[in-house]
Amino acid sequence: MRLPRFEFLKPASLEESLTLLEKSGRKAKVLAGGTDLLVNMKYGVLRPETVVSVKGIPELCSISSERDGQTIIGASVTLTDLAGNSLIAGKFPAFHSAVRSVASKHIRNMASLGGNICFDTRCWYYNQSKLWRDARELCHRTGGSVCHAIKGSKRCHAINASDTAPALIALDAKIAVMKKGQKRLIPAKEFYRDDGIRHTVLEPEEMVTSIQLPEGNGNSQSTFIKVSMRKGIDFATGSIAAAVSVNGKGVSGVRLVVGSIASAPVLLEKTAQLIIESGLTEKSIEKAAETARSELGTLTNLFTTAGYKRHLAEVLVKRALSELKEKIGRARK
Amino acid sequence: MPRGSEKYSVIGKRQPKLDAVHKATGRSQFTDDVVLPNMLYGKIVRSTIPRGKILNIDTSRAERVPGVKAVITHKDTGGLMVGPDQQLLCEDMVYYFGDEVAAVAAVDEETAIEAAGLIKVEYEPLHPIFSIEEATAEGAPVLHKYFEDNYADEVTMNFGDAEKVFAESDHIRVDEFTVHPGHNTFAEHHVVIADFTLHDKLTVWTPIQSALLIQKSMAQDFGLPESNVRILSLNTGGAFSGKPSARPHHSIAALLSRKSGRPVKIRITADEEFIVCRSGSRGKFTLKTGVKKDGTLKAVEADILHDCGAYIEIQFIMLRFFGLSLQLLYKLDAERYRGRLVYTNNPPYFFPHGGGLVGLRFAFDSQFDLIARDLGLDPVEMRLKNAVDKGYTTLSKTHYASCGLKECIRKTAKTSGWKKKYGKLPPFRGIGIGCGVINSGGKGLYDHDTSAAFLKIGEDGRVSLFTGLPDMGQGSHTTMAMIAAETLGIVPEDITVISGDTDVAPMDIGAFSQRGTFTTGNAVKVAALDARKQLEKTASKKFGTRPSALVFRDKKVYPKGTPEKAVSFEDVVSDTLHSQEGRYVMGRGFYNPPTERTDPVTYEGNATLAFSFGAQIAEVEVDPETGIVKLLRMTVAHDVGRAINPLAVEGQLDGQVFSGMAQTLFEECIMENGQILNSSPVEYKLPRPFEIPEIAHIIVETNDPYGPYGAKEVGEGPIMCTAQAIANAVSNAIGYPIKELPITPERVLQALRQKGKANAPKK
Amino acid sequence: MKKILSLTVNGDTYEVAVSPWKTLLDVLRDNLGLMGTKRGCGIGTCGVCTVIIDGKAILSCLTLALECEGKAITTIEGISSEGSLHPVQKSFIENGAIQCGYCSPGIIMTAKALLDENPHPSDDEIKEALAGTFCRCTGHVKIMEAIKKVSQPAGEGASHAPGK
Repeated sequence: MRLPRFEFLKPASLEESLTLLEKSGRKAKVLAGGTDLLVNMKYGVLRPETVVSVKGIPELCSISSERDGQTIIGASVTLTDLAGNSLIAGKFPAFHSAVRSVASKHIRNMASLGGNICFDTRCWYYNQSKLWRDARELCHRTGGSVCHAIKGSKRCHAINASDTAPALIALDAKIAVMKKGQKRLIPAKEFYRDDGIRHTVLEPEEMVTSIQLPEGNGNSQSTFIKVSMRKGIDFATGSIAAAVSVNGKGVSGVRLVVGSIASAPVLLEKTAQLIIESGLTEKSIEKAAETARSELGTLTNLFTTAGYKRHLAEVLVKRALSELKEKIGRARK
Repeated sequence: MPRGSEKYSVIGKRQPKLDAVHKATGRSQFTDDVVLPNMLYGKIVRSTIPRGKILNIDTSRAERVPGVKAVITHKDTGGLMVGPDQQLLCEDMVYYFGDEVAAVAAVDEETAIEAAGLIKVEYEPLHPIFSIEEATAEGAPVLHKYFEDNYADEVTMNFGDAEKVFAESDHIRVDEFTVHPGHNTFAEHHVVIADFTLHDKLTVWTPIQSALLIQKSMAQDFGLPESNVRILSLNTGGAFSGKPSARPHHSIAALLSRKSGRPVKIRITADEEFIVCRSGSRGKFTLKTGVKKDGTLKAVEADILHDCGAYIEIQFIMLRFFGLSLQLLYKLDAERYRGRLVYTNNPPYFFPHGGGLVGLRFAFDSQFDLIARDLGLDPVEMRLKNAVDKGYTTLSKTHYASCGLKECIRKTAKTSGWKKKYGKLPPFRGIGIGCGVINSGGKGLYDHDTSAAFLKIGEDGRVSLFTGLPDMGQGSHTTMAMIAAETLGIVPEDITVISGDTDVAPMDIGAFSQRGTFTTGNAVKVAALDARKQLEKTASKKFGTRPSALVFRDKKVYPKGTPEKAVSFEDVVSDTLHSQEGRYVMGRGFYNPPTERTDPVTYEGNATLAFSFGAQIAEVEVDPETGIVKLLRMTVAHDVGRAINPLAVEGQLDGQVFSGMAQTLFEECIMENGQILNSSPVEYKLPRPFEIPEIAHIIVETNDPYGPYGAKEVGEGPIMCTAQAIANAVSNAIGYPIKELPITPERVLQALRQKGKANAPKK
Repeated sequence: MKKILSLTVNGDTYEVAVSPWKTLLDVLRDNLGLMGTKRGCGIGTCGVCTVIIDGKAILSCLTLALECEGKAITTIEGISSEGSLHPVQKSFIENGAIQCGYCSPGIIMTAKALLDENPHPSDDEIKEALAGTFCRCTGHVKIMEAIKKVSQPAGEGASHAPGK
């Protein structure tokens, strides 16, 4: 499990990073913590000619509160530093919980927020060494035209297992993306694509530079639940980030985002609408869980069976909404 | 710190491992830490198809890569066979994905990998077989040309008159159980360095459970006298039954070394571990058991089918163990057994932790609980009714000189609060018991099972103890030192254990079949007694007493009853050397358990002198929505004869409960087309700290008459109890039988659904 | 093309010529001969290669050597001083937390990093720190005990000196 050869560049500033990315185009990959990119390079599925390290670049390492109430987090902030930040823990408990549940503490000591946001999709026909993959046809992702996960499919179904992604969508975060001479601010729900290969909207010379979390209001509650076989190390078998806002009339906003079961986090819009219309009751929660199953689209048997994923999504919706119902109830008293 | 119990000054003491300080500081040398001058790095080229013909191997491009010093294929092996069905490097057929086809040695690993990638092998794929069912179906292609069918081996055993005894039974159950393959997952991957630069002397560095077995097989492979093969096994980073003997990479490294004239290191990388070193295989256990209505076991008939994978290697041993193990735990009047290994194109089956018996114990003891449920009997009571005892002789004429099984059952039941909990827990909480047994000082590979030991005593009273037994972490060296220290009346810290080099160490079959404490321990005791006799002669002259009246204890020597006259151990040693005789004190000994050979036809014979027994009770909580099982508590009792080092015994109990729990709830190689899909440590799951339950240890001591200071094994016995304890607890929690390992969340949900269907009102 | 890398390991500064694709683990073992840090899975899941950088437990198999320019790295060879063992090492030895020893350096470094940052961690905090490591021999049981014993609050037999 060795790294292939590559050119290594270590820019000292954001400007320099963007210049290097522009020059290298598709031949370069951004390296932050290394816990995603270097693993895939050791498997031989990614072989960039150039690796541009943005670890420790000052403009990318800060956490700040803006005057308009937004909180801005630099993309190179490590997950451990983020998890240890009391501002984040206090203001955004669901996001904080998602950050803390990523992989292991060793990994979080190295991994960056930007890296987890862009975390590459996973598939057990893809994340294997060359020796393993040589036994099968090339798939869509490795230059072929088949999908091993869903036979006959014309697209890639690798799974997005990022824990922060569903939380960012649920909290309506914005992701700042830059390339030389251009900055975009993309709502999290538009950042991800339902495709195992191009799973984000990032262009080749672009990189994530920060995320913006909007100021919450006192009338909303959020939660993040991750189900995994083992605690403190595993990818989620399924996860959910949920946020509910209430006003005098009832439920005013609901976001339910299921992660780790498809190529993009799944925003359950119909299910959310049902709760907005019926409010948070035991009955509506049961109905919502059922509705969620139908919003999930085609699921694979990667890591767990499709049936289990669908069942787990139902369980997660029920548990998240029940928890929020209780939290809202307590907040009202 | 008080030393030992009253009777013994060292035995029974909680002794930190003597080599722990080297391991704690990173000083302990493992094979990959060894760098030899001029050393090359090897890489093996493996088959990318599970079955097929090799049409051509083109090594020309690889040979031209600068830095490549040797390339080998079958034609360089002299037709070497490493098994009855297995060529070292495939000549014209490959039998599994990962099968060894060629190899390269180069000046560094990168170059070796690059060159290996340039070796082009042309295959003609043939239809592969991946399941027992397909391999044994009518008209299935025969995978190995010298065989008539795909049965790699078959063993049948018949004890007593099964037909008659079944006819006498009041209740008979037939159940089928399935166990899925796993992987030993040691922290240290397979690795070897071979130095064959001198053509009549081969030196091999490798982590291994038996230096003797690999020495013999490599000597045979290369036509060398055994003593010209030197095996250096410095430290072994975990074995768990998975490093007992030579694997193909050992002889491949040797061949590369011979061809290049330089030492060659081959590291099996993380991905290769999950390609070639699959352990365990899919096994189907069909058990028919007959009982009386009061719960007395009468007869067992077992039909066991195991997926052998591509090659038989040494798996035939398992079929014999299965058959004999069926009758070791509970009293039986008859047993009928058939065990078969079936060839497929999956990677070769190799021993998982527990040597494959974990699956058998799970099946047997799970069915036991189902029978208890059928009869309305308490599982603990029914076990006590049927448990073997000291003095019992099994159907195969195995005799128990010591047996603490009932004590283990009673103590775990009491400590865990069984009576208050069984049948009284809230929904989805469960409690279950499992019992197990394993041989201690197992014999059977050769006519003898000799371990030898010798020691020398320096003028300063310090001892060097030479043994061929490896220490893979189980603390065997510390145990040997404690036995020698007790016998000589000194302390373990004054003993240096020298091992890991076949040029130096005396014979030892190795660390499997639970031989360490029992067999090598006895050899060490004999050697220490031999040295002590020489010192007794000196001391008895000095004190004017009989040698038998002398006490050797706490580094002192004195006549019994007069400790005030004591002289130091060191002084007695020095006096012996400086006497007129000028005797330098050395002790030697060997031990070959005085057992009977097993009859090769009837399998009768008391081939093992001692057995360790255990009982474990598991308490679980099942999440009925996700299917995830949380193991809350394990109460663990094991009859170890005598706990020479209670600290190490506890460590073994912990480690095996962990490993048993892992095999029961987590570990599964998910196979597809002969490949493992979940081939990384993040997808192939071993529990981590959050999953570990509370563990209560109960050490039971029955003082075996044959074991050194009464000790028996603890290296593999505890894991024989764990799987079924947990499975029975889960069955208890969900109210539905568990018949498949591992018990994954999906299987739990499936069981709940089936229970729902079973309980649904009939239309 | 190799670059000259200057890094400080256990207080000693070294200059080595490395290729960009070499990891810190490669450099420690192959260039500096510091074999105490072991090779494991290579993909960050077993913790066997753990070293300490800036007070944090870091996986050296996923750290590029060139990223360590100017950094101070501590390996297992560097935590005992003047012939005496670090309290974590002593506790592991005394409490039977070491069996085959292959994972021990990585786990001891993980424990040290935890206790340096949090001298009296809760059980869950210890488990969280250890979840990235893997020990089949001990099942983590005596490892947890050894860490708990050395992290008891002052006045309860504490023997750990934080910040070392």
